[in-house]
Amino acid sequence: MLKMQNIRKSYRTDTIETHALRDFSLEVNEGEFVSVTGPSGSGKTTFLNIAGLLETPTGGEYLLDGQEIGGLSDRDRSRMRNEKIGFIFQGFNLIPDLNLFDNIDVPLRYRGFNTKERRRRIEKSLEQVGLSARAKHLPAQLSGGQQQRVAIARALAGEPRFLLADEPTGNLDSLMARQVMELLEFINEWGTTIIMVTHDPDLARRAQRNIQIVDGQVSDLRQSIAQEEIATV
Amino acid sequence: MFELKPMLSALWRNKVSAMLIALQLALTLAIVSNATAIVQDRLTSMARPTGMDVDNIIAITFMPVPKDYDMAGAVRADLDMMRSMPGVVDASVTNHIPVSGSGSASSFYLEPNAQIGDLDGNYYQTDPHFINTLGLNLIAGRNFSDDEMHVIGSNESFIGSVIIVTQQFADAAFPEGDALGKFLYHGSKDNPMEIIGIVERHLGAWPSWALAGNVVFHPLLVEGNHKRYLVRTEPGQRDAIFKQLEDKLAERDPQRVIHLETLSEKLASTHVSDNIMVKVLSAVMTLLTFIVALGIVGLTIFWINQRAKQIGIRRALGATRANISRYFLVENSLIAGTGLVLGTAGALIINQLMVSEFSQPVLSLTILAVCAILLFAVSLAAALMPAMRAANISPAMATRSI
Ligand SMILES: Nc1ncnc2c1ncn2[C@@H]1O[C@H](COP(=O)(O)OP(=O)(O)O)[C@@H](O)[C@H]1O
Ligand SMILES: [Mg+2]
Repeated sequence: MLKMQNIRKSYRTDTIETHALRDFSLEVNEGEFVSVTGPSGSGKTTFLNIAGLLETPTGGEYLLDGQEIGGLSDRDRSRMRNEKIGFIFQGFNLIPDLNLFDNIDVPLRYRGFNTKERRRRIEKSLEQVGLSARAKHLPAQLSGGQQQRVAIARALAGEPRFLLADEPTGNLDSLMARQVMELLEFINEWGTTIIMVTHDPDLARRAQRNIQIVDGQVSDLRQSIAQEEIATV
Repeated sequence: MFELKPMLSALWRNKVSAMLIALQLALTLAIVSNATAIVQDRLTSMARPTGMDVDNIIAITFMPVPKDYDMAGAVRADLDMMRSMPGVVDASVTNHIPVSGSGSASSFYLEPNAQIGDLDGNYYQTDPHFINTLGLNLIAGRNFSDDEMHVIGSNESFIGSVIIVTQQFADAAFPEGDALGKFLYHGSKDNPMEIIGIVERHLGAWPSWALAGNVVFHPLLVEGNHKRYLVRTEPGQRDAIFKQLEDKLAERDPQRVIHLETLSEKLASTHVSDNIMVKVLSAVMTLLTFIVALGIVGLTIFWINQRAKQIGIRRALGATRANISRYFLVENSLIAGTGLVLGTAGALIINQLMVSEFSQPVLSLTILAVCAILLFAVSLAAALMPAMRAANISPAMATRSI
């Protein structure tokens, strides 16, 4: 599903060069639920951004769904994000000027679905997150947990193969966090591959596999390989 | 695939800034289209044919100094002298120089002792040589004869029995096209003036007057006032004759003050105010358009900065660069379209006022449409650069800044 080999990413400002990822290698299989932990600034978001084609690596090889990403144009990467990848962000990232219905509609319009198909998907995904009644509300009229569920609905509506979540519960209290986690587990059961960055060790443990990033590298590759073997046995 | 509905609802939540730009465009269209109408009107009026051989005519003004000056004698002697000069085609006397911006106008009536139904016409008191001197084209009837020419004192009142009119005036008075042989009257007088000839065209004293070209000629010399001569030369001889005339007129009668000008100079100086008007209005239009373009650039950049995060989110959700630029261009078009619709209404209202209060030209729909299309293009062009910049916002914006 996802295969990264010796990925490097460095950010250069006028004075300093930061190596956010160094020799980063990782494989994630179809249908896995992987949690990513690690200290702040260790490169977790950078990893998710590269995995989600939001940023391009400085070096290394990245295969997503059998496709070498390095040679893709900006346009192709946009299409791949749109069709294969769903994003869930810590800050929800709903568009404040649009109501819930229109927010979920955004990626579907870029996808080029017709009105009927879009409406069907929007209604279905709102139902899945239990917010059908709020379709015409603005994001600001919802609680944080509800907003995050809308963001999940927006990701689900495109029926992505691959869901990337960057601290999806970071801004939520524990009850709401649990609801969101349950929703993600449910989605994973239906076959969507999920990679979730989290600070919460309890949530991280609930994933099939946990990887730790320290200083831009997977800290204990052996451990995660060992876990993977257990999972496949 | 324009996202019109969500775009409109997003715009509605930012309606104040959007409305400001739309109103700015509306005002610009209202002003620019009316100014264009005026400019076009002035340009056409400046380009109007005068009907005269302007390039080869010299205009002479003289002011007699002594009280009991023999005006009629002086005029006869001057004209004889000038007509006999080699290179001179003809010369005539007149009360005003055509296209000079100064002249006389009067009301003419179709009935004697009439009070209503008057026609305004510019008139000249001249002599039987005026057609040849000005190079006019007599298209119907005949010229004045020498014995129809009258000389009167400055205090006398006299109305001659024959006139020549321009075709434009003839048509205005007699739309049936049968003016020749018909009579016109001065108000509250019952002396008939027969139209004995019609000249094709003579623009009269004021080229930008709404009725310019309504001209009536009387065969009359009124003594005592300033007198003017018009002298037409053979092509190419004007400047040489000009110099000779200065000397010869002074030589013939050194007592008087003589002033010579070419008719083309006269015409140019009459157009000076129109020229200035055209330049000022063009400058105002350019400036306004520039300011409105700057406003659009500014607002679009402001909005894009404000929505940088949202653009990143859209990119993360699959928007291509083209999707993003197009979003802002379509949004700009919606605002501009609204502004231009309002501006069209505004332009027509302002124009009604301009027509009724300041007798300015009527705004044609063609001018309005052309101005609206140009302003639309300007607003699109102004939004283009910011919209392209918006497309460069990284999708990582969605995860990086909170
Ligand atoms: N756009 C950027 N420019 C410069 N440095 C960056 C940029 N984005 C991230 N970094 C740096 O890269 C490192 C990894 O950041 P990040 O992936 O966001 O860490 P995490 O998500 O694990 O907290 C940090 O040192 C961060 O400061
Ligand atoms: Mg992070």
